[in-house]
Amino acid sequence: MAVLADEDRRRVWAHAMRMWSTFGLGAIPVVKADLRAAVDATDTWIDNNQASYNQALTQPFRGSASAAQKTLLLCFVAMRRVGLSMLRTEEDG
Amino acid sequence: MGTIKQHFSAPMADFRAATAFPQYIRNDGTNFPVPVLAYDASSEEDAFFLFRAINYGSGNLTITINWYADTATSGGVSWGVSLACITPNTDTQDIETKAFATETIISDTHLGTTGQRDHDVVGTLSNLDSLAADDLVALKLARKPADAGDTMSGDANFVFFTIAWSDT
Repeated sequence: MAVLADEDRRRVWAHAMRMWSTFGLGAIPVVKADLRAAVDATDTWIDNNQASYNQALTQPFRGSASAAQKTLLLCFVAMRRVGLSMLRTEEDG
Repeated sequence: MGTIKQHFSAPMADFRAATAFPQYIRNDGTNFPVPVLAYDASSEEDAFFLFRAINYGSGNLTITINWYADTATSGGVSWGVSLACITPNTDTQDIETKAFATETIISDTHLGTTGQRDHDVVGTLSNLDSLAADDLVALKLARKPADAGDTMSGDANFVFFTIAWSDT
């Protein structure tokens, strides 16, 4: 997977600002330009660390899952680490 | 000589279906409700207010906008204010197609310490669209996310504004 297009990054940035309050994540500690730089850095970091993440995955998932499935798994785990408000499962009731 | 003031809160706003508009949010508050218009940080949104310029005499208008940040603790916010004025029985302009005069940009800076603290910013409106006494006035209030001064992340919550003018 390549890095996101500039417009995609811009939309992630805009979405993040709108959702920050919705998810009760407290104050955004930076101005718009700083948050946008963080979005860009996150996307770049994901791109630069794809191989490392892939290597960390266990078999047989690593060899069987698609790139999109692996990326979504990363998102699910990361969202759960934020809290239940971000990833509430059926088991949570 | 006197100063006439009128006050408009978020629930008094109106919106165009064809124009992006801020979300109306009624924050319940701990002890009293705080209804606001939540202006987006990345896309321009507009709200509109109609009023009569009761006994307007002359000179510029002064607008005082109260707002607070939804999630930010720093940065700047730029508000855009435009007027469209019609003199009843005199102007033949179609009210439904009336255009706004040049927009005035009013910028403010978050004072920090507490994210959701109330701020007010005072601006002078000199683009008056030939305002006359007792005119019907349409006022457009926008946040200007593309303005260089609008650096604050997250929504800017508009609470109310007061607009004032001289009666002489």
